[in-house]
Amino acid sequence: MKPKRKKLITTLLVAVAVIAVIAGLYLYAGKEPFIRTTLSGLTLGSLFFMVAAGLSLIFGLMDVLNFAHGALFMLGAYMGWQLYTNPTFIFGMLPTVTAFTCGVLVSPVIKPFLIRWELPEQWQKTLPKIAYVLAIVLLILAFLNFNIMELASTAMVAATTTMVGNPLAEITPQEPLAQFWYRPVLLIISGLLVAFASSKPGVKTEFAPKEDLLKKAVPSILLFALTIIATLFRESAPIAILLMNGNLRFLIAIFVAVAFGFMFGALIEITLIRPLYVRPFFIVLMTLGLSFVIRELVQLLWDPLAYQMVRPPLFAQSGKAASLLEWLQNGNATINISGVTFPTYRLFVILLGFLMFVIVTIIMTKSRLGMIIRAGVQDPQMVEALGINVKRVFTFVFAFGVALATLGGIGAGPFLPIQPLMGDQFQMLGFITVVIGGMGSYVGAFVGAIILGMGRAFGDYFALKLSLSPAVSEASTVIIMVIVLLIKPQGLFGKKE
Amino acid sequence: MVNRRDAIKKNKLVSSMKGEGTLLVLLVVLILFPFVMSFITGTGMNEGVTKFWQGQLIIFFIMAVFAMSYDLLMGFGGILSFGHAASFGGGAYTFALLMKHVVPPITHNYRITIGSVNITDAIVLIVVFLVVLLVSILIGLLFAATSIRLKGAYFAMLTLALGSAMHMLVKATDFHKWTGADEGLHGVPVPVWLNPTQNRLTVYFVSLAFLIICYLLMKRMVNSPTGRVIIANRENEDRMRMIGYNPVTYRTIAFVSASIFAGFAGALYSIWNTSATPTMVSAVMTVNALIITILGGMGTLVGAILGAAIMQVISQFFYTWFGARWPLVFGVLFILIVMFLPYGIIGTWRMKKHDLKQFFEQGKRIIAQKKTLNQEEEA
Repeated sequence: MKPKRKKLITTLLVAVAVIAVIAGLYLYAGKEPFIRTTLSGLTLGSLFFMVAAGLSLIFGLMDVLNFAHGALFMLGAYMGWQLYTNPTFIFGMLPTVTAFTCGVLVSPVIKPFLIRWELPEQWQKTLPKIAYVLAIVLLILAFLNFNIMELASTAMVAATTTMVGNPLAEITPQEPLAQFWYRPVLLIISGLLVAFASSKPGVKTEFAPKEDLLKKAVPSILLFALTIIATLFRESAPIAILLMNGNLRFLIAIFVAVAFGFMFGALIEITLIRPLYVRPFFIVLMTLGLSFVIRELVQLLWDPLAYQMVRPPLFAQSGKAASLLEWLQNGNATINISGVTFPTYRLFVILLGFLMFVIVTIIMTKSRLGMIIRAGVQDPQMVEALGINVKRVFTFVFAFGVALATLGGIGAGPFLPIQPLMGDQFQMLGFITVVIGGMGSYVGAFVGAIILGMGRAFGDYFALKLSLSPAVSEASTVIIMVIVLLIKPQGLFGKKE
Repeated sequence: MVNRRDAIKKNKLVSSMKGEGTLLVLLVVLILFPFVMSFITGTGMNEGVTKFWQGQLIIFFIMAVFAMSYDLLMGFGGILSFGHAASFGGGAYTFALLMKHVVPPITHNYRITIGSVNITDAIVLIVVFLVVLLVSILIGLLFAATSIRLKGAYFAMLTLALGSAMHMLVKATDFHKWTGADEGLHGVPVPVWLNPTQNRLTVYFVSLAFLIICYLLMKRMVNSPTGRVIIANRENEDRMRMIGYNPVTYRTIAFVSASIFAGFAGALYSIWNTSATPTMVSAVMTVNALIITILGGMGTLVGAILGAAIMQVISQFFYTWFGARWPLVFGVLFILIVMFLPYGIIGTWRMKKHDLKQFFEQGKRIIAQKKTLNQEEEA
């Protein structure tokens, strides 16, 4: 049989089977339970996809099993939630972070000059060491007496009081500018020292052309400007954010979570994972340790408690909307979908999941970067041989994957309890999703996530209806995975080994 | 010639003794420990501080065996399994289930005696341990079966999923009557002479003996031809297949043996706790073993023992030093170890040992040269 025809026939068969299963479930369960279960299955599926998409991309391109993905998902939820209810924390921390990064990012600008510097050999080794030590000392000095815990602890107040009244009541005072100013300055100097040390002054074997210096300076100049702005508006920005409309605030929260995820992911890749590409086995252990640290850090800052994020006003008003239009006008908490009452926020999660899938698809198929990524999944060596800076692509993909995870986190924030372990279950299911869909395939991740979500939802439904054990829905994931792996060991959409 | 060969043999013997010398000293220390401790503190063998530290060491012995069995898989076989806790928990649950639900009716109704000595308990215990062995072998075979078709990350994921399936099975509410679901099995009836509260010293020596036996067995296994093939499987599977060994067979051997050791460790752990809880089957347990192995050094059995000791100390003292958030310090430490000491403590020591020796010898040579120079000058 011709391979094309074979493919067509299998597609047809699968389509028929899927339709038959759906029809069977519909006939068996009846209209309303079917719609309700399907919708909750889709909600779960979108959440799984948000975790699995990043995992799948990262694994497909870099062969990195990211065990910190669940922790990063959780971190995204925390960051978004912080901006939503307690912007003091983020705005209080922002100047310090930008100041340090601005200093470090000077590195590509000064490197061409530093490596041409005539230095005796003994200084080539000792000078960076001295610079590192000085940088650490300055770092410690900059954070001395800086009360991070108090900035974070306002969140606990915010969580217990209702937001209906005056939201400004929870703002805690920050350090006045007259006291605060030296911290960013010290951090910039510290960052500059790190940049100085990492560009290896005097080492002749390093390579750095003196071209495009202005272009290379742009990020650090931008960050410098941002540092100044962030330092000046440190105290007023949280008030401005809290006075905003809740929906807008939520939008900003999503943006902040994604931006944070992207930058944090890039940071992790460059500092922790890049040195380990020569020993791939240890990357797994590194991410495992990282998840430990992130989880404990979050517990240190916000205590090991579960928080409830207040839903944005668009999803908060009581009452049932009859249609989509009515919901958008009134912001009801539930909506009527052909006779089924369904929470609007869950609908939003489904939309978010599908939107993410569309965005990922566009990036992967239409952009040059996406082409490089897909080519890299197929054959990384070839891509490298064609003269593409694979290192940078790796960093981008890791950062992008983490950003997807943090987006999932903030998306899940308003309807899951926000707690340090909220990502772990999703990480496990994300792994299974990736295995089902095939490593490195975002379409596979999407299909796998929906299958798993449906399995969960219908498992719960049948467990309730036929009075089976609730473990049925949990076990369904493993059963689905085993079946898929027995039929296609490389996953549904995976490449053949 | 003969003399020389004898000398080499003797040297070999001496060097092998040297390797085990520290371990032998440690063994003597561990054997004497309860007595010395009770002598120093003036507390009885089965009370106070002495009893507490015996307990800590018992956990250390058991975790050391579990970590060694994991090392057998990961360090020697190059198999990254995230479901190894299934064997450990499987052993623990098998033991606890049998002791709690199957054994009491039997001992109640039947009695086996030799002359006038009642040996029912002993026979029953042996049979229970045989069943534990059987279950561990089956779990090992199950995991090995998955590794036939899958490799790399897929395999790691599947083991993770299989492990979590075990966890689900243990936690399933359907078997509440048998396994106690979320709470686990508590109050497992253990024979009086093995009861950790009444006769802790016996349990101490039993687990110490268990550790020694397992260490010797695993060492023998690693150094045997089979063990060599398992290590070769880690290094290059294709080449091994080309030479004519079947990788699947040897992977299965690695899995089954690791599973047996882990299963027995689990059974002993359930004796020590007189319970079997879902945590013993969860991924946390596997990750613990993984961390211990990395800490001490992959591919070294001694490393797993050392790592287990360090973990025990850390979990004892870090809480008092750093408060409730001690895992943060530990996590940072772990990241640093992965970054800068990838071969663990023992592995790095073994690598640097040679350099250090050379360094000292160079120093010696320089001193000797100076001496001869001085002598020449004097002359």
